[in-house]
Amino acid sequence: MEIVIKIFLGILGVYTLIGILFGVFFLIKAPKIDPLMADTKKKVRFLLFPGVAATWPFLIGKLFNSKTA
Amino acid sequence: MGLNYQLVLWNNHKKTYDKLIVLGMLLYIILFAVVTLVFNSETSIETLVIRAFGSLAIIMLHIILVIGPLARLNSAFLPILYNRRHLGVSMFIAAFIHGGFSMFQFHALGDVNPIYSIFISNMDYGSLTDFPFQVLGFLALLILFVMASTSHDFFLGNLSAKTWKRLHMMVYAAYALIIAHVFLGAFQQETSPFTIGILVFGFILVSSLHLITAFKEGHIDTAKTEEKEGWLKVCDISEIEEDRAKIFTVEKERIAIFKYDGKLSAIHNVCKHQGGPLGEGKIIDGCITCPWHGYQYLPANGQSPPPFTEKVATYELKLDGKTVYINPKAFEEGTEVNPCKI
Ligand code: HEM
Ligand code: FES
Repeated sequence: MEIVIKIFLGILGVYTLIGILFGVFFLIKAPKIDPLMADTKKKVRFLLFPGVAATWPFLIGKLFNSKTA
Repeated sequence: MGLNYQLVLWNNHKKTYDKLIVLGMLLYIILFAVVTLVFNSETSIETLVIRAFGSLAIIMLHIILVIGPLARLNSAFLPILYNRRHLGVSMFIAAFIHGGFSMFQFHALGDVNPIYSIFISNMDYGSLTDFPFQVLGFLALLILFVMASTSHDFFLGNLSAKTWKRLHMMVYAAYALIIAHVFLGAFQQETSPFTIGILVFGFILVSSLHLITAFKEGHIDTAKTEEKEGWLKVCDISEIEEDRAKIFTVEKERIAIFKYDGKLSAIHNVCKHQGGPLGEGKIIDGCITCPWHGYQYLPANGQSPPPFTEKVATYELKLDGKTVYINPKAFEEGTEVNPCKI
């Protein structure tokens, strides 16, 4: 059981870490994820930060799409 | 609907409701503290905080779970539905205070990581009466966090409405985890009969309301439709209230037929924002107004008034005496259709 717990929490930890890094990237370059963010007040980015960090696997694709577009 | 994002979509109504939420939460905590201290003056302040916020969170969760079905049964509940998002975020904060305090109280004083400690301080995973119930609370809190943190419209667009909806349907998983958290915890703690009472009553309420609305929805689905030269008979004009709609399922699609200003118009029932039921909304200032968050559409063409760009499909209607007929073939989203004169 202990090993299962360690793996689960390990994955959770790595996921969170990547999420936080991605979130920091978002704070700086939000319009790269969503062009509407360019005209949006900066403080909205901080409000969105936790959610961006939590759902990074769904959002990270936008980065590559916007580059090819 | 906007061209940029706002910090929070506040208007005066919402501000009033938010004040009510905060006031209600404060009142509950104070009342809980007073009642607990009167009946059990030895309760420590930490235990008091943990129990007050835990029970507050679960009560709020119940309110959130019953608003949806209640608003469908009776439109008087719609204003609370509009504010469900803020209620959800407030509920998460209450749950977070409860979980955070428990973690601090029981897991932060050792030399292992407190989260790791929640999982390993009690390894009786095979037992029912001694199950590590705090683990279930932790998992529920994770789900509630994801939901609260993605409640902003930004995520609706960027995660896609489908993913967003799926994420938010996880509220039912969180609900199940929390029920298990409290019941399994009750074997080990002196959980108050009050809390258990709320849970049992709440569970019956939540499930029966969901069943009743499911039954009502099913009823819409089977609404009679008789064919006449490609047109489907839907209803008598008198069945539709002024400035309101009736919803019908025509060839597997939900369609809302609105009556206003001596005219009839039909549009696809699904709001472009989060799939709200347009046919349960009203005509306000000449626009069909979604009951969930107020997106608006013109009845004649299914388009949101400029500068907004949302469009829904429209349908053609005709009248034969007092009977309404619909052409089941949808027009392209946003197509102008002459309203049917009554
Ligand atoms: C990290 C997450 C969590 C931890 C560590 C945790 C821990 C605890 C503990 C230690 C108790 C027993 C308190 C006592 O009676 O002395 C408890 C009870 C309870 N928890 Fe949690 N919990 C967590 C998450 C949640 C969540 C997310 C909810 C609901 C939204 C919740 C709702 C409750 C309720 C209703 C009780 C019963 C309170 C009572 O005895 O009246 N918990 N929890
Ligand atoms: S679903 Fe949000 S306004 Fe219609």
